Amino acid sequence: MAPASNATFVETSQSTAASPCPASWPAPKEYDGSDGDPNAPYNPPGARNTDSCLPLKPTGEVVHDYTAKEPAPGDLAFRWIHGSVCAAKNTDPRIQVVAYNEDTYVLRENPCVNWEAPFTYLLFGNHGALLIDTGATPEADHYPLRVTVDKIVARWCGVRRKKSVPLTIILTSGEDVAQNQGIGQFADRAQTSLTPLELGARMEFHGLSGSWKQGIQRIDLGGRVVEVIPTPGTHKDGLSFYDSYTCLLFTGDLLYAGRVQIANDRDYVASLERLQKWKQNHRMKWVLGGHVEMMFIPGRAYPRFSTNRPFEHVLQLEPEAIDEAVEHARGVVGKPAVVFRTDFILLNRVSPDEKVYQSAPDLPRVPVPYWRSLQ
Amino acid sequence: MPLDFKSLNRRTFLSLPVVSVVLPAVAAATAPEAKAMGAPPLPAVGSGPIDFKTNAPAPGSFPERWICGSSSCMDNHDPPIQVNWYNEHTVFMRQNKAYSFEAPFLHLYFGNERILLIDQGYTQLETDWPLRDVVDRCIAEWCVKHGRHVEEMELLASFTHLHDDHYVGINQFYDRPNTRYMGQTHEEMIGFWGMTNYPEERVTLDLGGRDILIWGNPGHVFSEFAYYDSYTHILHTGDMFYRGRCYISFWDKWFASMKRLMAFLDDHPVTYVVGCHVEISRTGHDYPYGITYQPDEAPMHMSVEVLKHAYEVAKAITKPGIYFTGSVFLCNETRDSTTIDRIAYEYE
Repeated sequence: MAPASNATFVETSQSTAASPCPASWPAPKEYDGSDGDPNAPYNPPGARNTDSCLPLKPTGEVVHDYTAKEPAPGDLAFRWIHGSVCAAKNTDPRIQVVAYNEDTYVLRENPCVNWEAPFTYLLFGNHGALLIDTGATPEADHYPLRVTVDKIVARWCGVRRKKSVPLTIILTSGEDVAQNQGIGQFADRAQTSLTPLELGARMEFHGLSGSWKQGIQRIDLGGRVVEVIPTPGTHKDGLSFYDSYTCLLFTGDLLYAGRVQIANDRDYVASLERLQKWKQNHRMKWVLGGHVEMMFIPGRAYPRFSTNRPFEHVLQLEPEAIDEAVEHARGVVGKPAVVFRTDFILLNRVSPDEKVYQSAPDLPRVPVPYWRSLQ
Repeated sequence: MPLDFKSLNRRTFLSLPVVSVVLPAVAAATAPEAKAMGAPPLPAVGSGPIDFKTNAPAPGSFPERWICGSSSCMDNHDPPIQVNWYNEHTVFMRQNKAYSFEAPFLHLYFGNERILLIDQGYTQLETDWPLRDVVDRCIAEWCVKHGRHVEEMELLASFTHLHDDHYVGINQFYDRPNTRYMGQTHEEMIGFWGMTNYPEERVTLDLGGRDILIWGNPGHVFSEFAYYDSYTHILHTGDMFYRGRCYISFWDKWFASMKRLMAFLDDHPVTYVVGCHVEISRTGHDYPYGITYQPDEAPMHMSVEVLKHAYEVAKAITKPGIYFTGSVFLCNETRDSTTIDRIAYEYE
């Protein structure tokens, strides 16, 4: 077949007759344009499956054992999409999807759709899927979160030989417009429960009514338990989520590699102390926040509204960042301050642009490439 | 000033002040060559010099609404550069906010012999942002309409001040014939206009019947000019004064520039004061630095009263801080330390 294959790409009248493999190829009639469709014209004839994870023969449901002594394996070893010089000319995907492991997915919104570029997490258990946060853009054609999540869920169901799996959508903060905008795309989705946005209703949804700041609740996905830890401080209705399978802590705006804007410093310290205690009693691999704003330069962050961030910090923070944040947050309670640390910056009672081009004298002085402002 | 054109190499040519170049000689020397290149012959009638003096100020119009970005930059389908023919000899352009958040305004003034382009925007690559293409098309359109050869019209590319959101687009003009561009140092800037006493000296640039008055206007940065077009009577104050946050780096210099502008207003009529950006809404709401969507932004042009009122407000300012005049923010030596924006989610 190899010698003749060139002829199929030459558009002459003879080649159609000379080619040994013309009309006998199955016409790509049923190709629906989706990823991994065996009917796609670039697949060889007779292709039945392009995804080695999907079964060729019908088998029973796979039940996964989510109990493990060590954190479940998984990695984020790649580079996030980070915008472009000219935002209008950006050609990256609108949502970057990364499989941390087979049951854990990390999604990022393209910074050229919204500068907040929030991260969204999708976790699967034997009986349910959980979506943490929903992005900063409501329009489905700009930010197709629903379509993307549906595709991941459908593939996961295929891998696990399930017909469907119910989805629960929760938020690290109901009031944060960088995280709650995409929820409307799921309004009419079957087998889906959405968290309310309003504080009281949201705490009730999580079973945290009454003195909710002290409570802990569990979300059981079927063998995989996600724990809900109230952490107000950057939002008055802040929640953090701890996944006992991967040992990841999802903190949203509370602690991430960026300029953390403290909304109430007493609550902030109390929440971090709660997480610090949690860390002592539970295995913790990484802290995953809702954004990345730091550069790969100690103590430097991209300013707000940046749509081009070529030297971004990685998403994950080591658990020790909690200790560091507690220590420095205690020192600024009650006073306006900007605390520059290697991996994050704390802003208390100051404008979000305070000292945006500065860093701390105790951190290594590394010049920022292509930065025009006073350094 | 008599010039020996035979000894004129690129370096000496560029070092000459624009105002003193005797251009008709150059035009005569290049005319046969232009014909040989196959340029269309000049129309016999109607190609006489345009009169820029008797009907001043020439009326003109700004767009109802400038293009002002979109909620998702990737989904912006507006033109990369909005072109506004203020009148048939004056163009104001604006960079699309989805291409650069600075969204600077660019000016193009046509005269009988020369064309002045003030500012070149914030994007270097023509493949990202086709400034050269748009400017060339404007010039070609004007030349056809007024019976000129493009090759005979010299383009002068200058900028208001030494900040990259106003000059990096100059990269796109480096290979353009019959074009002179301002150098990017203070000495080259004032040398371009032949100034010897910056900022007090006011020079006149003759575009061929159309005079542009230029003088020093420091305060936002040290190297900055004000431009006054004697045809439309439009005063261009750059980033020193515009509808938004006037970041004043040097208060004393800025206030002296303000006084100079007031003295200028005493003996020159001004229709509009225009600046390089808009950062404020119609209701006086501040759009934060860096934002790429300003759905309800205020018009770019301002009346003379706005400038005069700001001067009255400025007289009382003695300390660093942010002062709102009702139309513009005067940010006195506050850049990098204070902004107008507040914490969005603060609670007790």
